[in-house]
Amino acid sequence: MDKLLNPDTGLIIWTIVTFLALVFILKKMAWGPLLAAIEEREGRIKADLDAAESARAQAERLKQELDSQMNALEARSRERLAEAAREGDALRAKLKTAAEDDARKIREKTMSELDEEKQRLVKELRQEVASLSVMAAEKLIRKSVDDSVQKDVLESFFSDLERQGKHN
Amino acid sequence: MNFEAILEHHLLDHAYLPLFKTGGVTLSLTKHLVMMWIVGGIALILLSVAARSRSQAGLLLRTAIEAMVLYIRDTVLRPIFGHATERYLPYFLTLFFFILIANLAGLVPYGSTVTGNISVTFALAGCTFMLIQVAGIREQGLVHYIQHFVPSGLPAWLVPLIALIEIMGLFAKCIALCIRLFANMIAGHIVSLAFLSLIFVFGQMSPYVGLGVAPAAVGLALFVYALDVLVSFLQAYIFTTLTALFVGAAVHPH
Repeated sequence: MDKLLNPDTGLIIWTIVTFLALVFILKKMAWGPLLAAIEEREGRIKADLDAAESARAQAERLKQELDSQMNALEARSRERLAEAAREGDALRAKLKTAAEDDARKIREKTMSELDEEKQRLVKELRQEVASLSVMAAEKLIRKSVDDSVQKDVLESFFSDLERQGKHN
Repeated sequence: MNFEAILEHHLLDHAYLPLFKTGGVTLSLTKHLVMMWIVGGIALILLSVAARSRSQAGLLLRTAIEAMVLYIRDTVLRPIFGHATERYLPYFLTLFFFILIANLAGLVPYGSTVTGNISVTFALAGCTFMLIQVAGIREQGLVHYIQHFVPSGLPAWLVPLIALIEIMGLFAKCIALCIRLFANMIAGHIVSLAFLSLIFVFGQMSPYVGLGVAPAAVGLALFVYALDVLVSFLQAYIFTTLTALFVGAAVHPH
């Protein structure tokens, strides 16, 4: 059994020759085509992956773009709504003040008209009273008093009346 | 019965006829040489067919071989060689498949285990040794390779000692490779033969005892055989991986 552990030079040389020959032959015959096929497939897979990745990135970008557009739209519409509300408020306030103004003016005008009317009525009434008084006094004192006296008396009477009216 | 004669018959090489004779070296046609050429032929046919075939059966073979090729490329070689992987890939693939097919061919009836011959494993380890030198010089340059043979930053007086240790380590690595593959491949066969011989050892006592032992012996031999299939793959992988590690260490000294 010593032979089991004794290397045989001839077989060593044969093995080296055979093995190295196999390395070169297999490199040409097997590994070249096999590895080329594997590499081609890997390249294809990688290209597919890259394409998918870029498509995904593009979709992502598009989504972001749309999102931002959407957000901008939303913000703008909110702004518009707020503006409209503000404008409405302003308009309402303006209308309200205008209405109040109008109402006040109308009231004032009415008051002044009423006042005028009152003044006129008072004046008319006074004249009426005066003429009635004059007529009554005429009738009473026609014969005894002449026109000038009559007039003096009446003047003083009316001025008294006026003073009294102012007092009141 | 003579167990030793049986082992010798089954495990040792037999010269059929001397082909050349130069000096003290005889290049003979031997049993293991024939087997080795058969293994090479099988590898050549199988791998070429797998690389080219587009048929269904070829696809199956191709898928199996591709899985191993990709494993060796991506898991064994890529971490060690990086971008230089493609340059060394054919050598390592051939190494792996040669050892694997040789191991498995030894398990086929009438086959013999080429890798269970120390001359063959010695030659393969020698190729590894050569590859370590060639790859180291090729990747680093001769001067740089010799400079980095010893780790840098050592005191001057330590350099010769470490250089000696490194050289011994280099040889030890390769001899360990040689012995590991040889011992692993021959051990399974010795154990198988021992179990089967048990039948005849006991049979000499009485044929009935021999028959009684036979099922257990055959079962155990079968178990060892199954283990050998595993070991065939394992040792092919280990030899390839260790070669890659050693070559890688020479290519990148840090």
